[in-house]
Amino acid sequence: MFTQDMVICRCEEVSLGKLMQTFAAHGCSARELKLRTRAGMGTCGGRTCRSLILALLQESGQEPSHAVPLGYQPPVRPVSFSLLGGRE
Amino acid sequence: MDRRILNHPVLGPSAPGKTLTFHFDGKPYTAMQGETVAAALLANGIRRLRVHEESGSPRGLYCNIGHCFECRVTIDDQPGVRACLTLVKEGMKVFSGKVLPAPLKQAKSPDASEKQNSHFIAERAESR
Repeated sequence: MFTQDMVICRCEEVSLGKLMQTFAAHGCSARELKLRTRAGMGTCGGRTCRSLILALLQESGQEPSHAVPLGYQPPVRPVSFSLLGGRE
Repeated sequence: MDRRILNHPVLGPSAPGKTLTFHFDGKPYTAMQGETVAAALLANGIRRLRVHEESGSPRGLYCNIGHCFECRVTIDDQPGVRACLTLVKEGMKVFSGKVLPAPLKQAKSPDASEKQNSHFIAERAESR
């Protein structure tokens, strides 16, 4: 069911294989994995793939690190500058 | 092509609604009043709403609840609008997402990018 070319992060087009390769090569934390592959840094703000990335790391035997978690940065959902600036 | 369920086995026949015309990439399509852009396009057999900005691989509806931003299109000159949350209005002009230029990734072969990198590193070393 799981194939290497399965897309995990659809915004940045990062495949399961790429994530596993990167993890195998560097033994990264969730945050490092995100910064190396850009998974979870796309338009949706990681809301689609964050749990998948964390699950992948957990299955690889790494406890989710609470010291450096996958952060939620404001704005929590994408908004246009015009909306923030109060312009129509 | 109409892929709507007009006679539902449990809910019965759907009430005839008002039809609207809108355009997707310049072609006219028909929508029922109250349909979202994504639903209307799906009913017309169109599943590819945009392509990935860099790789060009096709993208369409994914979550259909406004969560994943996979279905973003340009509606009436406003880019990045979610097709799954926007209701069709008469005469709406919808455009699919295209591949965007990637000027920093112009080097196609690894050799070329390596050369560029070494050039860049040399430049930085000089500036120090």
